[in-house]
Amino acid sequence: MVYEMLSKLDRFERVVDALSHWLNWIAGVAIALMLALIAVDIIGAKLFRWPVPGGIDIVGLLGVVAIGFAIARTQALRGHIEVEFFETKIPQKIRNFVDAVIYALGMLLFVLLTWKTCEYGYTLQSKGEVSMTQGIPLYPFVYGMAFCYLTVFLVLLVQCIRVVYRINK
Amino acid sequence: MSPVVIGVIGVVVLILFFLLRMPVGFAMAFVGLLGFSYLVSPNAGLDILVRDMFYTFSSYSLSVIPMFVFMGCIASGAGMSKRLYDAGYLMLGRLRGGLAMATIAGCAGFAAICGSTNACAAAMGKVSLPEMKRYDYDDSLASGTVAAAGSLGILIPPSTIFLVYGIMTEQSIGKLFIAGVFPGLILAGLFVSAVVIVCARNPSLAPIGATASWKEKLDGVSGIGEMLVLFLLVITGLFLGWFSPTQAGGAGAAGALLIGLIRRQLTWGGFLTAVKDTLRITCMIMVIVAGATVFGHFMAVSKIPLILADWVSALPLPAMAVMAIIVFIYLVGGCFMDSLAMITLTIPIFYPAIVALGFDPIWFGVIIVLIVEMGVVTPPVGINVYVVKGIARDVPIATIFKGVLPFLIAELIMVGILMAFPKIATFLPSLTTY
Repeated sequence: MVYEMLSKLDRFERVVDALSHWLNWIAGVAIALMLALIAVDIIGAKLFRWPVPGGIDIVGLLGVVAIGFAIARTQALRGHIEVEFFETKIPQKIRNFVDAVIYALGMLLFVLLTWKTCEYGYTLQSKGEVSMTQGIPLYPFVYGMAFCYLTVFLVLLVQCIRVVYRINK
Repeated sequence: MSPVVIGVIGVVVLILFFLLRMPVGFAMAFVGLLGFSYLVSPNAGLDILVRDMFYTFSSYSLSVIPMFVFMGCIASGAGMSKRLYDAGYLMLGRLRGGLAMATIAGCAGFAAICGSTNACAAAMGKVSLPEMKRYDYDDSLASGTVAAAGSLGILIPPSTIFLVYGIMTEQSIGKLFIAGVFPGLILAGLFVSAVVIVCARNPSLAPIGATASWKEKLDGVSGIGEMLVLFLLVITGLFLGWFSPTQAGGAGAAGALLIGLIRRQLTWGGFLTAVKDTLRITCMIMVIVAGATVFGHFMAVSKIPLILADWVSALPLPAMAVMAIIVFIYLVGGCFMDSLAMITLTIPIFYPAIVALGFDPIWFGVIIVLIVEMGVVTPPVGINVYVVKGIARDVPIATIFKGVLPFLIAELIMVGILMAFPKIATFLPSLTTY
């Protein structure tokens, strides 16, 4: 029974891991594009007096992709900054319990973020909100963020289940 | 309950979450959401959470952070840290403690193209620690030098901490960067003095190295010429207003990429590693900035910063005494908390008080960075010490902390100098208009 559950968890973890990996690749492309765009903008503006039209808008939106799409992978690698001082001094069992609570709170945060970001995206879509200079619709980026938050929730869920399993072991 | 009491409870809960190892950015966003929801309304809290996250990530002015991080990661992948160390080694290697001095010079040079303490310590540690081991340097001196000198990464521009401080306090990034130049160079000088004193007291810690010919020395220095050009392009461009901060970061990253390609030292694999490292570092910084923005909104409605500013400015103490107390709080906090967490937590609270006391915000930014530098090498949460430990796995952590001690004294002296002579930090920014 336990073995079966672990095997299912392994499969689920692989799917979530692949998803976060895939999103991270998109983020990587976005950051490379961001650099290319800024370089072209500098050369265009300084040498030919022709900056990239709407460069500021596009760089900002690429920033959403570069950062938002990397959050899940960073969490999967436990790359977000944590204060590792107090918790290392408490017994393993209590630490597992505390970790499970902290993961659960993180999940709550990202569920709320997913839900409200979807709502925000819908509001922008229905109002036809666009970026300042180039008129790029904002809602696809907001929906993209909501999907990323959902992925972070899934990553936290896997990490939480692993800790809960350690508690029950 | 009054908003102030709710604000104080929020700060306490936030510190508790930090101590229980909740990621710093998540904790700030979560507590900010709870506090704002309680003081205004749950709907307003959720709205502010979603908008703060989206607008932080899509902010053009904040895209300066990924660009400067990218610049440092590409520079590291293109072997620039090694060339800087080699140049320092050829110039200083024949002196007692010369390799440690070369490490400090290399870190100061690499700090001019990289804005992070741990990236600087990691890049230079990989190059210098094996060399110091080969020349029989004492483990404590070698590892302590790398950990401490790596902290120059955030004082000599570009600097991620200056970026975050500048964005949070709406100060000019260009002025902050330029303000770090003199203190950074003086601190590097103090670090070298610390090595000289330590080696004079116990010569067995650092044997004398080989002498290099003048031709070798010139060859070594010519290998770092393009990095000097890159630094000057970025900082001068920012200083003279040719570039916006984001453009300066982009120019630096593109320049580092170009140098790596021309020298054929940046491979495709190296570039991909630089991209991955940039994403990870940027993401962890930006999530904290977004969380701090939510938390900052909560602090604003709690009115704590305003009340604290009024209270501090009415204290019957000289302004410098109040500043000394604030510095002490940062010093103690820096021992237990990550530097970025410490800054994003405290700036919304202390900054209005600093302004009310009449201190120059640029000077205060430099003081903050100096104290953060101490925080990255002090036990128990000295991140640079753990970075060095990751490279020199056979060296016990206590040995590294012991090796850091002389450099900590140098940093304390630097804080004292800067408090006594603020002009060291404010002179260059006073010449700029941007």
